[in-house]
Amino acid sequence: MSWMPVLALALVASPSGLVAQTGGPSTRLPGRVPAAALPAIDSIIAAAVAESLPTEPLVQKALEGSAKNIPADRLVNGVRRGLLQLRQARAILTRAQPGQPPPEGHIAAVAAALARGLSGPIVERLLTVAPDEAPGPALHAAADLIAHHFDPDSAADLLVEAHSKGLHGVRLLDVALAADHELQRPGGRTPSEALAHVRSILPNVPTPRRP
Amino acid sequence: MSPIDPRLQEALDGERDPGDLPVDLREAYVRLISAAEMLTVTPRLSVASRVMAEIRRNPAPAQSEGPARRLIRWLGRPRAVTVRLRPVWTLALAAGLATVLLLQWPNGGPTPGVAQGIANFVGHFPGARSVEVVGSFNDWSRGTLHLSDENHDGIWHAAAVLPAGQHEYMFVVDGERWVPDPLADRYVDDGFGAGQQNALIIVRAVTAQP
Repeated sequence: MSWMPVLALALVASPSGLVAQTGGPSTRLPGRVPAAALPAIDSIIAAAVAESLPTEPLVQKALEGSAKNIPADRLVNGVRRGLLQLRQARAILTRAQPGQPPPEGHIAAVAAALARGLSGPIVERLLTVAPDEAPGPALHAAADLIAHHFDPDSAADLLVEAHSKGLHGVRLLDVALAADHELQRPGGRTPSEALAHVRSILPNVPTPRRP
Repeated sequence: MSPIDPRLQEALDGERDPGDLPVDLREAYVRLISAAEMLTVTPRLSVASRVMAEIRRNPAPAQSEGPARRLIRWLGRPRAVTVRLRPVWTLALAAGLATVLLLQWPNGGPTPGVAQGIANFVGHFPGARSVEVVGSFNDWSRGTLHLSDENHDGIWHAAAVLPAGQHEYMFVVDGERWVPDPLADRYVDDGFGAGQQNALIIVRAVTAQP
């Protein structure tokens, strides 16, 4: 594999890698977002700030829609939908972990899981399992399993058990991957058989190779 | 010192036609005349004269100049720098530099920092003139992450060091066609109401892997 593209990127990227620009929403949106949509989007972002919700997902959604030339009304609706998901995410986090204000990163991770189609109860259940950990990997693992047609509750059961056996963070993604591999194995396994097999080998699920 | 032939002396003094001289004396006459003409040309400046002219052209800074201004003037003036290295030291320097580069980039590639990982983007776009990736990691900006098809087999590839975590992205083919990565592990609705999906990549920090 040629590393020249990587090298070039490493050189042009910021010290923390190729990352989105930092800076307030007010400095990043003008010039990128259509003028017709800008006041409404500014208003949505101002609401997020007032509610102590993370604004970066909203800024990214506005930039994404602008880059895709989404019409202004749909662009604003897309950003507004993002705000609603953030609110829902914070409500779920507050129920799952009462007594502490949820970190912005956790709110954004839960909102992303909701956008992937995870239901509130499944999210809440996974949050209670590991309240002190970043929720993103467990939620994505559950969303991966459900996207491959595993039963949502059975998928959550498997992840809860994997966590109890010492698998944390991105290792939970390996659990979902192992179940998917079992499902696709020649000869065929049913989803419940695949989950049962992975449960039987916990915590020894394979680790993917590095890219 | 041999005395000069009287006939040659007469020719040099203009008292005899040089054409009447014998061949050997005529050649000597030509050499002497040429030498005399060279002596009449204005001599070039001596080295000392040229050095003094350069000094006059760039006069020393006035004593009233502050040290900071003199430092700036000194830093801004071009200077010849001569580095004398024995070949053995040159080789040692090259070896040391190569060692540093190899330690920094095992497997021939750059090492992501803490909480960073490498994302590989691959797509099969036969006949495409250009393919690039835009996503949440580059503010959905065009022109920052191009894929390449070095073999011209339609398989486009790029790798990037990204922060660990989730990133949504799409390919842009030929500058106008937005395509979700057909080989992505995950997709998510883009939320703009037309049922379009973004590809979703979860980058693992290299330190998170055993």
